[in-house]
Amino acid sequence: MRVLIIEDEPRLAENIARSLREGGGYAVDIAHDGQEGLFLAESSEYDVVLLDLMLPQMDGMQLLSRVRKSGRRTPVLVVTARDDKESVVALLNAGADDYLTKPFDLGELLARTKALIRRGKGQPSPVLSVGDLELNTVSRSVLRGGRQVTLTAMEYRVLEYLAHRPRAVVSKTELLEHLYDYNWEKFSNVIEVYISGLRRKLDDGSSRQLIHTLRGQGYVLQDGMPQV
Amino acid sequence: MKRGHNSAMHSLITPGSILRGSIKARLITIVVLSQTLLAAGLLFTGVFDTHKRLLSTLDAGMQARAMSVAALVRYAEDAGGSLYFDDTLMPSSLDREHPDLFAVWTERSGLLTRSANWPAGLEVPPTGPDHWNFKFADVHYRGLRLFRVPVLDREEGKSFRPESLTIVYVAPKIHLDEEVNEAGISIVLSSLLLLVATVLLALWGIRRGLLPLQQLAAQAGLVSTHNWELHLPEDAKQIKELRPLTQSMTTMLARLQHSFDQQREFLGNAAHELKTPVAVLKSTLQSLLQRPRASQEYRAGIEHSLEDLERLEQLLQWMLRLARAEQWAHGALRRDLQVIDVTATCEEAVERTRHLAESRNATVHLAKNGPVLFRADPEDLQLVWVNLLENAVRYGPEGGSVEVAVIRENTGPARISFEDQGAGIPAADLPHIFERFYRGDPSRTRTTGGFGLGLAIAKALVEAYGGTITADSAPGKGTRMTVQLPISHTQ
Repeated sequence: MRVLIIEDEPRLAENIARSLREGGGYAVDIAHDGQEGLFLAESSEYDVVLLDLMLPQMDGMQLLSRVRKSGRRTPVLVVTARDDKESVVALLNAGADDYLTKPFDLGELLARTKALIRRGKGQPSPVLSVGDLELNTVSRSVLRGGRQVTLTAMEYRVLEYLAHRPRAVVSKTELLEHLYDYNWEKFSNVIEVYISGLRRKLDDGSSRQLIHTLRGQGYVLQDGMPQV
Repeated sequence: MKRGHNSAMHSLITPGSILRGSIKARLITIVVLSQTLLAAGLLFTGVFDTHKRLLSTLDAGMQARAMSVAALVRYAEDAGGSLYFDDTLMPSSLDREHPDLFAVWTERSGLLTRSANWPAGLEVPPTGPDHWNFKFADVHYRGLRLFRVPVLDREEGKSFRPESLTIVYVAPKIHLDEEVNEAGISIVLSSLLLLVATVLLALWGIRRGLLPLQQLAAQAGLVSTHNWELHLPEDAKQIKELRPLTQSMTTMLARLQHSFDQQREFLGNAAHELKTPVAVLKSTLQSLLQRPRASQEYRAGIEHSLEDLERLEQLLQWMLRLARAEQWAHGALRRDLQVIDVTATCEEAVERTRHLAESRNATVHLAKNGPVLFRADPEDLQLVWVNLLENAVRYGPEGGSVEVAVIRENTGPARISFEDQGAGIPAADLPHIFERFYRGDPSRTRTTGGFGLGLAIAKALVEAYGGTITADSAPGKGTRMTVQLPISHTQ
C-alpha cells in the first residue's frame, strides 16, 4: 500500500511516515505544500492520502475539491487543528472520508488509515480471506489452511495488496505503484522474485493454487483457476 | 441589608414606576391630561359666555319691563300734578312661583308704589348701582335701577314742573342659573364622551404605532452568532422615527460581527499554532516508543522534542505578550508611568538586536535628534523597536543596512522610522501585516521562526500609548515602518 502525506510541518510528516512504514508496512510519499501535494495526488496512485488543511501555496480544502473534481476516488484522511463542527462538516462535504484532529495518537492514525484503505477497496473486515487463506491486516499475520505462514516484509505487502483485490487482475505496474514510493520504477524486476517466493510459501503442499500468473497481464489471487 | 431594602423598593409598583416603564402609559397620560385641560377650558368659557349672554338678555328684558312699569305711572286729574300708578293695566308675571318685583319712586314725594307681591322684609333703596345681584329668602335676584325716567303721561298745557321717576325692577335669576348649569353639564358630558373616545383611539393608535417596533424586536431576537443578518421588517424600514434605531442596529451588528469573526479567526489560528507543535511533539515521542530503537535514535528524538518544546514555549510567550499589550491598550492595566527618553529606548533596542544583525552582516544606523521625552514604560517601547528592527534585519538583504530615525519637530507627534532594503511587502499583503498570525508566506516564516505576532504586538502597544504605526513598501526596494507618538509639548 502506498500513502501520500501532505503536511507542511516537516517533523510531523516524518513522524507520521515513520509510523506508517513501521506499523503498516506502507510506502510513503511526503509533500510539504499544497501545490506539490496536488501534483503527486493527481499523477500517482495512492491507496490513501493524509491531508493537512493549513498549507502554504494551496489550502487543503482547495486541494481536496480539486482532487475530487478530477474524479479520483482515493480515500482522504484530513488531519486538522480545527475541531469545530462547521469545519468538520465543511471538509466532509468537500469530499474528505475521515478526519483526525491535532494533536492525535499515532496508533489511531494508523488504524484509521488501515480502515480507509479497506473501505476504499470494498473490504469491510480487517481479516481478508481467499479460499483457505486468511490475512489479518491488524496483526499482519497469514494463515493457509490454519497453518501459520512466515513472510518477509515485502512478500507480505505484495500479498496484502492482492488480498485487498481478490479475483482481480493486478498488473506488475499497479503492484509497483502501490508498494513503492515515487522511486518505484527502479524496482521493476523485483516483483517476480516476491511472487515466486509467495507461491513457494503459500502453495507448497497444497492441492489448490492461489496465486495465478496471466501472461502479459499480471497476477490474480483466487481459489481455483481464473476464467480468461 | 440596605441592598435588600433597595431592591424591595424597586419592586414596588407605583404610578411613577408604571409611567417610567411604559411608553403607552405615558402617552395615555398625556392624552388624558390634555383632554382634561381642554374640557376645563371649554367648560369655563362655555359657562362664562352662556352666563354673560343670558344676563344681557335678562337685563334687556328687565329694562323693557321696567319701562312698561314707568308707562303705567300717570298724572292725577288734579292741578297739583300728583302721580298715581295704574296697576289695572299691569300684566301678570310669567312665573307665578317666582314673580318679578318692582318699586317706583318719584323725585319729589318718594316711594310711589310697590308691586303687590313685594315680600315683607325686603328693603331696596332707590339709590345704588344700575345693576346688582342679591339673595333674599334663598332666592337669587337680579336688580335694575332706572333713574330719571320721565313720566310718559304728559298733559298738554299743564304748568307744573314735570316729575321724573326712579324705577327698581327685580327679577329672580333661577331660570338663568338653571340654564347655565345645563350648559355646563352638557359641556362636561360631551367632554367625557370625547375623552373616552380619544383614549380608545389613542390606545389603538399606540398599539398600531408600536407594532413595527415589536416586529423589529422579534427580528432582532433572531440574530445570533450563527446568523448575523437582521431582516428589517418593511414597516420598520418606512417609519422615519425608527430609522436612527435601525441604522445604528445595523452598524452595531456589522461591528459586532467583525470583531466576533476576528476573535474566532484568532482562536482558530491560535489553536492551529498551538496544536501543531504539540502534535509534532506527541508524534515524535509516540514513534520513539513504537518499537525498540538504538540509543542514538532516542537521543535524536529527545533533541527534536526539546526543540519543539522551545518553539512552543516561545509561541506561548508571544501570545501572552500580545494579550498583555491588548489588555494594556484597552486600559485594563494601569501603571505608574515615568517620563522617559524615546531615543534612549531606541539605542537599547539596537543593542539588543546587535547579535541578530551581526549574524546577517547587517548594519543598523540610528539617526538621533536629541532626547525626546515621553511618558511610557521603556520596556513597552523597546519591545516595539526590537520587533520592527528584527523584521528589518531578517527580511533585509544579507549585508544590508537598516536606517532608524527619531524625528522630533517643534509641533506635532514624534516620528520613529525603520527603513530596510529588503524585498518589500507585496501590495496584497500590506493591509494585513498587522493582523494576528498573518504571514505573507507561511513557508518563509517557518525557516525564520516568526509566528506572525510581532507586528500585532507592536501595533497594540503603540496604540495603547495613543500612537499610530504605518507601513510603506516598495516591492524590490524596501519597507519603511513609521511609528508616531503623540508628544505633549509640556512634557
